[in-house]
Amino acid sequence: MTEQQSSNTQWEDALTFVALQRDKSAYADLFSYFAPRLKAFGMKMFGNEQQALEMVQDTMLNVWKKAALFDASRGCASTWIFTIARNVRFDMLRKKQSRKDDISADDLWLNGEYPEPESDSDAGQWDNQLLTEKLAPHFNRLPPAQREVMEKVYLQEKTHQEVSDELAIPLGTVKSRIRLALDRLREALDGTRN
Amino acid sequence: MAHAIKFHPGMSLLEQYAEGTLTADVALAVAAHIDLCPHCQRLSHDITVDLAAQLEKQPVKAGTDDWSDMLAAITAQPQQVKPGPAMPAATQPIIVNQREFVLPRALQRLAANHGKWLHLGGIATAKLPAGAEHHVSLLYISKDTEVPQHTHLGLEMTLVLAGKIVDENGEYCAGDLLINSPDDTHTPRTLANEDCLCLSVLSAPLQFKKGLTRLLNPLQQFFY
Repeated sequence: MTEQQSSNTQWEDALTFVALQRDKSAYADLFSYFAPRLKAFGMKMFGNEQQALEMVQDTMLNVWKKAALFDASRGCASTWIFTIARNVRFDMLRKKQSRKDDISADDLWLNGEYPEPESDSDAGQWDNQLLTEKLAPHFNRLPPAQREVMEKVYLQEKTHQEVSDELAIPLGTVKSRIRLALDRLREALDGTRN
Repeated sequence: MAHAIKFHPGMSLLEQYAEGTLTADVALAVAAHIDLCPHCQRLSHDITVDLAAQLEKQPVKAGTDDWSDMLAAITAQPQQVKPGPAMPAATQPIIVNQREFVLPRALQRLAANHGKWLHLGGIATAKLPAGAEHHVSLLYISKDTEVPQHTHLGLEMTLVLAGKIVDENGEYCAGDLLINSPDDTHTPRTLANEDCLCLSVLSAPLQFKKGLTRLLNPLQQFFY
């Protein structure tokens, strides 16, 4: 296993230890990695340190308390932590406006996963057309992270796993970026979205 | 679902939804659409994964803050034990015009506290207890009924929850999300054999345009 691959599952493993054994040192690792990053995220969103820190504390407390709810088979630790932070932040903002009987994060975001859609066939269907001249101009307008993955997969014909190793990002993220890019390209072509 | 959903929220709406930066009322319409649309379920999942990866890669200066107090306070707290299999939330249908409708998950809790149904001709509306910036309501349109032609002073989002509605621009079925901006004028109506239930999110009252229906303008509050 390369170092990069091990870091891909590092946080998932840490969360599992926290859940199974109340492992404070695994939690301290998670905390010292994510707390400063969540603070930076909070500063961007609130523009104020006190609220940013409140968001960090609430988010990381949920991570500690609810570690047993994390399911590594459904996604990365970072995705789980990000959604907790987003929901904490959303509810903090609503509470500040002191509206009780109101839209909450639980209404907006399903806690868990929707059933898996049948197949990725529509992505496959697009593969053939992808490199036609029609698409080329739109390719350059993709967000850099998506374009990078698309170039490696479609121009350099690398496998998803190779791209994941090379960029040190989880395989799921590679697949996500490809689907997002495909959808953007489709949107650019037929403009069916609002 | 027998038909494919044709009208989706745009990519930037989905991105803001996943980020949590969309206005709550607009986010509610997007969330309810996502409950009905497997395609947007996958997209919003993918966007969330991508945003989380950005959070994880966010560069930070080392050692600028002392986090030890917060860490100690957190690990002093008890943890929750793993719960049993989650109970599926009870889904309560809503009833209007002697018809029962089961709403998407995102609307269940709010719709349980909807306001009184107000009727006007073949149209009925009930407010949801949501929204500071926009007005959020359920809109029921009986078979063979026309909503008078109107323009929008603000943003109008209409999510078809059941049945079918048509206007000058097309035909909309369950899951389809229509977004009308201030300049759009349209005359939505139902077909002779099918009624329709929608979620309506409005940022300003409708304005009626044609002949006698302008007399409806004092009734703007009905739709708003």
